[in-house]
Amino acid sequence: MADNIRTVKHATCTFCGCVCDDMELTVDMDKKVITKAKNACVLGRAWFAEHHIEDRPAAMIDGKEVTVEEAIEEAAQVLAGAKFPITYGLSDTTCEAQRQAVAITDIIRGTLDTTTSVCHGPSGLAFQGVGESTMSLGEVKNRADLVIYWGGNPAESHPRHFRYAVTPKGMFIPNGKKDRTVVMIDVRKTPSAPVADILIQIKPGKDFELLWALRAKVKGKKVDPKIEEITGVPLSTINDLVERMKNCRYGVLFFGMGLTMTRGRHFNSGALLALATDLNEFTHFVAKPVRGHGNVTGADNVVSWQTGYPFGVNFSRGFPRFNPGEFTTVDTLSHGDADAALIIASDPASNFPKAAIEHLKTIPVISLDTKQTLTSKIAHVAFATATYGINTTGTVYRMDDVPIPLRPAFDSPYPSDEEILTAIRKRVHELILSRRGARGATGEAKVASKQVL
Amino acid sequence: MSLELSMHTPPEVPLEAELLTPDRTVGMDSNAVSGIAIQHGNRQVTVGDFFTVKGKGEGELHLEGDLSRVKHLGSGMSSGSLYIHGDVGEHLGAGMSGGKIVIDGNAGSWVGPEMSGGRIIIKGDAKHLVGSAYRGSAVGITGGEIYIHGNVKNETGHGMRNGLIVAGGNSGDFTGVNMLAGTIIVLGEMGIRSGAGMKRGTIISMHPTEMLPTFSYNCDFNPIFLRLMLRALQSQNFNIEDKQITGKYQRWSGDSVEMNRGEILIFRE
Ligand code: SF4
Repeated sequence: MADNIRTVKHATCTFCGCVCDDMELTVDMDKKVITKAKNACVLGRAWFAEHHIEDRPAAMIDGKEVTVEEAIEEAAQVLAGAKFPITYGLSDTTCEAQRQAVAITDIIRGTLDTTTSVCHGPSGLAFQGVGESTMSLGEVKNRADLVIYWGGNPAESHPRHFRYAVTPKGMFIPNGKKDRTVVMIDVRKTPSAPVADILIQIKPGKDFELLWALRAKVKGKKVDPKIEEITGVPLSTINDLVERMKNCRYGVLFFGMGLTMTRGRHFNSGALLALATDLNEFTHFVAKPVRGHGNVTGADNVVSWQTGYPFGVNFSRGFPRFNPGEFTTVDTLSHGDADAALIIASDPASNFPKAAIEHLKTIPVISLDTKQTLTSKIAHVAFATATYGINTTGTVYRMDDVPIPLRPAFDSPYPSDEEILTAIRKRVHELILSRRGARGATGEAKVASKQVL
Repeated sequence: MSLELSMHTPPEVPLEAELLTPDRTVGMDSNAVSGIAIQHGNRQVTVGDFFTVKGKGEGELHLEGDLSRVKHLGSGMSSGSLYIHGDVGEHLGAGMSGGKIVIDGNAGSWVGPEMSGGRIIIKGDAKHLVGSAYRGSAVGITGGEIYIHGNVKNETGHGMRNGLIVAGGNSGDFTGVNMLAGTIIVLGEMGIRSGAGMKRGTIISMHPTEMLPTFSYNCDFNPIFLRLMLRALQSQNFNIEDKQITGKYQRWSGDSVEMNRGEILIFRE
């Protein structure tokens, strides 16, 4: 066994939105690998174990190796020259890097979007339309006696989610799971089903109808008895669930992409949030999306804090405008609007609709990623960066909007996303100022040149 | 004489031309109109960079060419006529309060969002959110008329407060969602979840459609207002059969999770 072994306590796993911060990592500093990740789930263990330093150039332009400085210059030139540049990704990097990306997009008057638009974007829209009755996972641990999962399979996607919401003993829940009723509502029996006390199987794409029926019942209104035919859920089950929801002490609705990405989208999330709101007439009820990527919640927080909107923000006019469906990346690409793209820690070239990918291939792409992806392969400028949480410090947000600091295990030869983005931001700022200056410095440019960003 | 603009250079990225309206160009000659600022992506350019301008502004504006990437045309207009000979992009007639817009081709999403008056006629199809509220606002159109001869997609009349929307073809899901008042007529097939969360207002469908569990059936009847309305639509070349004018309609009321004062009328032969 090698001597140069280090243990990192209270490290954070950034693989999924649970962002578990109780990892104990054993690191072989010579080989630069993590040999053991105590407390991690299967996904977390794989995330830590698979991480090793890849041998690829830190920066490439059109597939040829260049210095990082050259690549930054090229990236800045492309972005500053573009008329409709888009920034996308951001969910798998630190809040510090996200901040720089927002600043770049603001300076180049681009369009900013995160992976939220393809997972829980509908929930973001629904928050605006309906409002959100929210909480932290600590509250759920200490208080929740009715836990409902809707359209998600946490056992496979967020294996340790149950440790926050189902199994832990809390202040008012002394016996843990025994004191809780767990309800799973899904279209099929998933591996999460054994956790559930009550399993409700619903016909695919009928979530909205069931939510609407629940809302009506909670309000004491009549529901068309055809509801069983439509949703596959008998009226008696609905009545029973409504009684449980009204009579619990603290209820929580967790919802996943099974709800947000099926027919109805933001109306499905909206209906669920409205149901939580309705239930607050009777008891305390909260709702929370179960977020996927490590720091996608951070992306929402940073983008909202800096621009006022969570995703799909456009700066063409010099001020932020929000319009999902117009400024979300799938749309700006499929319509062929974008003329340059800055893609951070995401791989749209492999998972976007075909029309969007086709357009992406025709425009200069700047990509930052820890591994080689389809996007980095088609990129005009590709940066290899260090992995957040394993090689770099920073802040990430857990799915309940709680910020958690990262404790890295070992160094990477590659720069962090934040370092690259900061350098690009400085350079585009200079380029934009000189362009405005060439046209006769306006008052705005003079003020901007004094600003310390 | 009217103003005629024809596109000579197609834009590389979307153009935003909210200043191009018949009322704002009144009294302008072709030079002045060529100098109007429009937004090309993140750069400000002028109308002359993309359009050849002929004529003089007298309240009638004709645009020609592929305008599918030109957004915000006719935004906030209050009078005059805007004719578009071709397809047009998003946010057509956003927030307009008067005047008339006629489109020969298809329109993008957000036709007449939050408009308060005037008339929009589209000969082709439109996309999502026709006559709707913008994201984050609860109230959609507060007046005016939107006639679409082709199909529309989801969320037609979202949050509508007043006015009339007619779709000659099919509509998508959530027609009249969160509607507060006003009238929506769909002559083709209507998608599902119509009238979800509606407080008041009328949605009329010529074909059977799946109702939400929170709507309840009241009666069959032949409302007088509908006869008048359908005759008026017939005169505008909408395809309406006589039996639809004289026939009976099922009345459903809802949405019971809200005030239950809205109605959906479904033609039943
Ligand atoms: S639940 Fe998620 S954050 Fe926690 S260890 Fe597993 S993969 Fe990592």
